[in-house]
Amino acid sequence: MKVRFWGVRGSFPVPGKQTNRYGGNTSCVEVEVAGHAPIVIDAGTGLRQLGKRLVRNEFRDGNGLVHMLISHTHWDHIQGLPYFSPLYSEGNELQIYARQPGDTHLGAVFAHQNDGPYFPVPLASLKARVQFNELLEGQQFDIGDVKVRCTRLNHPWIAMAYRLDYGGKSVVYCSDTAPFRDILLEHEFIATPPSAAVPLDKQHEIQLRMMREKLVDLCRGVDFLIYDTQFTPEEYEAKPHWGHSTPDDAIAIAREAGAKVLCLFHHAPARTDDQQDAILATYKHLLRDDDLELVCAAEGMVVDLAEVGS
Amino acid sequence: MRLDVWGVRGSIPAPGPSTNRYGGNTPCLSIIDSKGHLCVIDMGTGVVPLGTAVLQNALPIEDDFGGGKGKATVLLSHGHWDHIQGFPFFAPVFIPGNTLNIYGNARTSDRVEAVLEGQMNPQFSPIYTLKNLGATIKFEGVRERQCFRVSNLEICSMELPHGETSALSFQIKEDGKTLIYASDAGYPAEGAPDAIVEFYRGADVLVHDSTYTPEEQEERRHRGLSSYVDAAAVAIRAEVGKLVLFHYDQDHSDDMVDENVRKCAQELERRGAGQIEVVGAFEGMTLEI
Repeated sequence: MKVRFWGVRGSFPVPGKQTNRYGGNTSCVEVEVAGHAPIVIDAGTGLRQLGKRLVRNEFRDGNGLVHMLISHTHWDHIQGLPYFSPLYSEGNELQIYARQPGDTHLGAVFAHQNDGPYFPVPLASLKARVQFNELLEGQQFDIGDVKVRCTRLNHPWIAMAYRLDYGGKSVVYCSDTAPFRDILLEHEFIATPPSAAVPLDKQHEIQLRMMREKLVDLCRGVDFLIYDTQFTPEEYEAKPHWGHSTPDDAIAIAREAGAKVLCLFHHAPARTDDQQDAILATYKHLLRDDDLELVCAAEGMVVDLAEVGS
Repeated sequence: MRLDVWGVRGSIPAPGPSTNRYGGNTPCLSIIDSKGHLCVIDMGTGVVPLGTAVLQNALPIEDDFGGGKGKATVLLSHGHWDHIQGFPFFAPVFIPGNTLNIYGNARTSDRVEAVLEGQMNPQFSPIYTLKNLGATIKFEGVRERQCFRVSNLEICSMELPHGETSALSFQIKEDGKTLIYASDAGYPAEGAPDAIVEFYRGADVLVHDSTYTPEEQEERRHRGLSSYVDAAAVAIRAEVGKLVLFHYDQDHSDDMVDENVRKCAQELERRGAGQIEVVGAFEGMTLEI
């Protein structure tokens, strides 16, 4: 099983010299299993380049099948989909999996992006067959020979983390989420950070603790943990209600779960390559005597899980 | 008036080393008039660095946007993603007291307000609704050939064919100088209709869609965009002073854009219009008009 990064950025795509090395495309990760249809996690702008690769082989003739797990439908996680070339050939098939979005159909949510006035090709008129699979929190299912599990995260309008297991190797994709201590993020709009003077609601505290336990359980012994680390600790202090974590939060989860490699992901749009280098160096130093290995996601990076822990 | 270019790319932002020189951000221009009024044209991802520049006081703008006392005009050509996707990240909209007057096409099926409200829907955006933006957002529907005045600018609009929909072109005048913005223009194969040519006529600067090479255009005419040859042809007919190529295909590298600009200059020369200067718009470009 291999993990390939096509987009690593959070919020919005950021072209320019200052993102050349880590990459400016929004979230998109491919999980490759030899002989298996591609599994894509999130459909940010990185998806466009993946689509260009796919249409060079069986997708060109309309014989391709791709599975796509969506963490949540915020723009930076779906905005590449209308530009995904395999959708424009008859015969190709796209299976989309995402959390059941409450009072509407998942297909209707995605149709909004493709329909007028935003885009000229409505979802219903795409040549490829697109199917929507609505998931419940905690659901387990198979994609071919790959076992998939999911659990919910602490993010406005709720996001899902996914774990994929195949051939004794595993990867978890955990983006986007706030840590599980200061504020519960669900469907309510929260305009300002919670006041330090007001203690966290008891019920919320219990919900957050359970959410965290389930996430640690999902990550238990995982080979490769991809985690939303958009914020520095200072940025988090100012914006705990935005729904993103720091490397410190990710390290705590990774250690508790016994993850082998932690991968920093969903980089802040304003973060330059040099700043990202500095963040990685700081936390690598912190973990210098630790069993946990730390890496930082960059566009084009490929990780062969067969080589993790060996 | 002063023109600054913040985003030049069509369809979808194109990050990476191959777009560093012209830029990978989607369409956004700013006009600053002699009174220091800010007028934004389209809000692709280029509007993000514009917002940063505004709050850093890096531009000759009269209003204090950082202090919540700014009033900006926004002209929207149409509602396709690449022309609005930067809006939720334009920093001045988060500062209470600022005002954005957004002008868009009144004739499309969705009102401009509904287009931008749909963008903020909580399924897709942590903003949830336009009402959560700190700034006051006002909307004006513009009819074809309608003219209006903001600050010292005379602005007129014209509808351009754009595939199965349309995009607004804007003519902006100050002190006898004229700029035309014509992105996402997809003329019929026989060329731009006369009314559009008249709308462009004699402009000092024509910023024009040039998504494709003529070879690409042969297969993609239905998409409603222009090639650099289409841009050259209409620039000649309208006898403009300067042609600025704009809205590049997301797959065109800097080297390909260089080549298209060079070939466009040759095309103008070949058609006896070598007096029209042609340049390729790039992020960071500034023109005093």
